Amino acid sequence: MQIELISFGKISDFISNQNIEIEGIETTDDLKKYLEKNFPGLADIKYKLALNKNLVQQNSEIKNRDSIAIMPPFSGG
Amino acid sequence: MNTERYQRQIILKGFGMERQERLAMAKVLVIGAGGLGCPALQYLVAAGVGLIGIADHDVVEISNLQRQVLYASSDLGLLKVEIAAKHLQQLNPEVKIILHPILIDKENVLDIISDYDIIFDGTDNFESRYLINDACTLLKKSLVFAAVSGFEGQLAVFNVEDESGIKTNYRDLFPVPPANGEIPNCSENGVLGVVPGIIGTMAAGEIIKLIAGIGKPLINKLLHYNLLTQEQYEINISPSDEYKQLDSKTDFMNRYKENTSQSYMEIDMQQMNELRNHPSTVIIDVRERHEFPQLDSNIYKQVPMAEFAGFASSEIEEQNIILVCQHGIRSVAAAETLHQKYGETKNIYSLKGGISKWRRHFLTTQHER
Repeated sequence: MQIELISFGKISDFISNQNIEIEGIETTDDLKKYLEKNFPGLADIKYKLALNKNLVQQNSEIKNRDSIAIMPPFSGG
Repeated sequence: MNTERYQRQIILKGFGMERQERLAMAKVLVIGAGGLGCPALQYLVAAGVGLIGIADHDVVEISNLQRQVLYASSDLGLLKVEIAAKHLQQLNPEVKIILHPILIDKENVLDIISDYDIIFDGTDNFESRYLINDACTLLKKSLVFAAVSGFEGQLAVFNVEDESGIKTNYRDLFPVPPANGEIPNCSENGVLGVVPGIIGTMAAGEIIKLIAGIGKPLINKLLHYNLLTQEQYEINISPSDEYKQLDSKTDFMNRYKENTSQSYMEIDMQQMNELRNHPSTVIIDVRERHEFPQLDSNIYKQVPMAEFAGFASSEIEEQNIILVCQHGIRSVAAAETLHQKYGETKNIYSLKGGISKWRRHFLTTQHER
């Protein structure tokens, strides 16, 4: 299935906005593992996922054409 | 109240005199009079918010002027809150302005915020942001959160209930603070001045909406703004169960209790000067090479944070290691790294407040290049 990745801040330095084709990934927990394996920079920083613009607070099912945002915290002022 | 001053907003449909009076009764605390705080203060004061507190302990530096639009080249070295208050009072003498020229910390934060209705967090570091968030959550104070990085910004309204009675705070987004150095700040990563200008102005808009009770403030939402694409992306925040709720002042103080395992020490300039005469002392400047003021590399060994892990893997001969950076935040991260390696076998220090706090000293000694 295909999903859309949208990234912000420092994360967009190594994950650009893109549509990716994924197989065998059914949940947001699966996706986290996949992302941290394919984009090792992600494993070192705090980030949060949003599935179709809703913050992911527990493992959630991913469907074809879903959009996933990957957000780091910002501290600058 | 001079209603002619506010005539353009009083005549707005859905605003009127009643909303203007609500603004005049409101008490707003702006923490951080920097890139976000300056524009927010200007619009809040101009709009006639009755009482405004400004909390910031910093002095004006030349690298602030690219984005902190209340300050002039002639203000270098002067306290930000004093310069800001002078301009803001000229802009609108009807507003009462209260100065808090101190660093917000765990000892003073609850007292300071308890006098205000709405708190604006325009600070520049995670330590302050979590402290302010937790204090506001404990005291049930509305908190407008704004932060920037590079060409992007984040904006949210915390601790305000939506129609269903649900409220969220920063810990629902990020339950645990990032480690020191994990996420770069503006002095490491850079920021285009107009970005905090936009986000700080938007924050003032949210504060005015909350006070006046108009529109839809960003309650339980995080707004992402990207200057380069002019895109906005809004995320719905729901409560997280990954952190412990604070129920009392005791809970709050316990969360911020001194970490007793910490064995590096934060020192001031006088202590640093005493230590530097010791034969087995090295002073390490962990700022990036482009940062000003540049220091004499014979006295201050230059090891930017990006290279620090590599540097720390080799042995340091000296017994006393003093770390310095611009504001004393990155130097703490470097001190933690060295403490993990050396434990109690070496004396590790971080210059509190950094070069910016002791700028006069760094500039008046012949240590400068």
